[in-house]
Amino acid sequence: MPSKTVTLTNPSGLHARPASVFAKAAATHPCAVTIAKGERTVNAKSVLSVLTLDCHQGDELTITTDGEGADAALSDLVALVETGMGES
Amino acid sequence: MTAARVQGRGASPGVAVAPAFVIASRPRPGVSGDPSPPVEIEAATAPPTADPAQEHERLDAALEQATAQLEALAERLADEVGTDEAAIFTAHAAFAGDPELASMAHAAIDAGGAAEEAVRGAFGTFRELLAASADEYLAARAADLDDVADRVVAILSGATRPVPTERCIVVAHDLAPSDTAELPRDLVAGVICEAGSPTSHAAILARSLGIPAVVGAEGVLDRVDAGVPLAVDGGTGEVLLDPDDADQDRYAKLAAADAERREQLAELRDLPGQTADGVHVELAANVNDPGALDRAVTAGAQGSGLVRTEFLFLDSAEAPTVDEQTAYYRRVLDAFPGQRVVFRTLDIGADKPVPFINRPPEENPALGVRGLRLGLVEPQLLRDQLRALLRAADRAAADDGDTGRLAIMFPMVATTAEVDRARAFLDEVAAEDGVDLSGVEVGIMIEVPAAALAARRLASRVDFLSIGTNDLLQYLFAADRLNADVAGIPDVFDPDVLGLVRSVCDAAAAHGAWVGVCGEAAAEPRAAAAFVGVGVTELSMTPNAIPDVKDKLRRHTRAELRDAARTAEAAPDGAAARAAFKDALR
Repeated sequence: MPSKTVTLTNPSGLHARPASVFAKAAATHPCAVTIAKGERTVNAKSVLSVLTLDCHQGDELTITTDGEGADAALSDLVALVETGMGES
Repeated sequence: MTAARVQGRGASPGVAVAPAFVIASRPRPGVSGDPSPPVEIEAATAPPTADPAQEHERLDAALEQATAQLEALAERLADEVGTDEAAIFTAHAAFAGDPELASMAHAAIDAGGAAEEAVRGAFGTFRELLAASADEYLAARAADLDDVADRVVAILSGATRPVPTERCIVVAHDLAPSDTAELPRDLVAGVICEAGSPTSHAAILARSLGIPAVVGAEGVLDRVDAGVPLAVDGGTGEVLLDPDDADQDRYAKLAAADAERREQLAELRDLPGQTADGVHVELAANVNDPGALDRAVTAGAQGSGLVRTEFLFLDSAEAPTVDEQTAYYRRVLDAFPGQRVVFRTLDIGADKPVPFINRPPEENPALGVRGLRLGLVEPQLLRDQLRALLRAADRAAADDGDTGRLAIMFPMVATTAEVDRARAFLDEVAAEDGVDLSGVEVGIMIEVPAAALAARRLASRVDFLSIGTNDLLQYLFAADRLNADVAGIPDVFDPDVLGLVRSVCDAAAAHGAWVGVCGEAAAEPRAAAAFVGVGVTELSMTPNAIPDVKDKLRRHTRAELRDAARTAEAAPDGAAARAAFKDALR
């Protein structure tokens, strides 16, 4: 399973808007996607689960993909986190 | 005998007298400490069946329906009120459609539960996880989950939310954002809440809908029965229960005065913005998002002095295409036929990260790469925006001459070199597209102190200067306006601030450029009058403020305003200047 760890750059962490941008992006991929912080791993396609990870700027997040198009999905989502999901 | 009275806090101005419509809080099992008594909602269906297959189906249907309802609500609010108010319901829709929530609820049904319990359980699990967070923002989302859970359960039980059918004042313990958004505004004369603060969602929404509202009216639910006449003053926070004839009379007078005032202001709508002696002052609207266009036109705005374009960029994962931008800019131009429309190019910095702009975090975003500075280091972004603006004006004019006149404004300018580079980009893009720039005004914001001091050299390069008072004051006084401890330090009436604005106007006049103000101070009638007194000829503000500012300007001649401003400039400090200006116009 392809997997990569990225650092969250958003100054106010993963609040509702960036979290839903991320979850929506994850949901466009057919493969399974998880996101983990520390010991906790959750379904990346679930905005509620992503919110409960309580992610702040500087946190290290591990994204793992599994199944059809796993490599493409991983690079897509890693790029999204690295560039900081939209927030106003 | 005088009527029983409850004192709350005014949350949205205006008065109303109408019968009470009581919205009881919905039952919320499993949530302790909820102060509102559970009141039944009429349930239309039989108790849930124990057939798991049927429960799975009911669950999926209810979640789907809730998601659709919330998406529709977000869309309606985006059109009517604005994207900021709509964003919360976009998030609610995502919560209702969450895959983990659904699978958790399905598992509960497999374990023998009914769909209702399964939904409560699943939302409850997420609620606890969020409520436990030390992060205040996340903890506050727990209340959002309750609102969404209530909606799904109501759909499942076939319960009908009570809806007013005649003119009334809505009384509730607290109104969830969705409750407020769904109220029929033609029937709701006022809103009274026991809980809440003037900054709560319900209060903000009431203000943007123009419905008088009082919050913090403690104990009002215990004392009010449905149908009892109420009088509410959303300015003072007063609520009268079953008002007697004298009170009814007093409120009727207040309401009449209020209506008369609104009518006067409505009459002002079609009058030109000018001083008593007929000197023209352009009174334009700030346009933050599509929702503001209607309000701007209704308020009688003479074009827009500030069309913000950030919302096109902040909410998307990819840069908006030239075509997408063109479509929006054209819509804005078409809203103001024959009038000037000033578009500000993208004004963001490291404090508002955008997914598709890869910039390192900054220690001090207020002094970093923001506004035009960002456009100059990310030229593609600026070029695309300039191209879309020129195309919007070009196409709009080609299709139908009855459209707005394009003006382009660059934010966060500090030096003449920046202006020269920005103009070079504009010239290049125009040449590539074969567009004639002669009809397009180009200007800059004056918000950096260095730019205010360099007004003479800057004015020779542009058609107009627009003073952004919020940032200019923040930078002049080195005081963050979002930091309550220092936000009181800057004063727009500070004699030397008025003097600085005057010197900018004099410098611009020497080069045939005009000067506008597009900060919050332009919406304050007295400050607006002072700006006109020192030479400003365009004021752009939130649409609702236009009638009051117009009224103020039409009462005084240009000479009176000029003399009053001179008196204010001679005062020892801001407070004295404000008082002197007021006295001079008596």
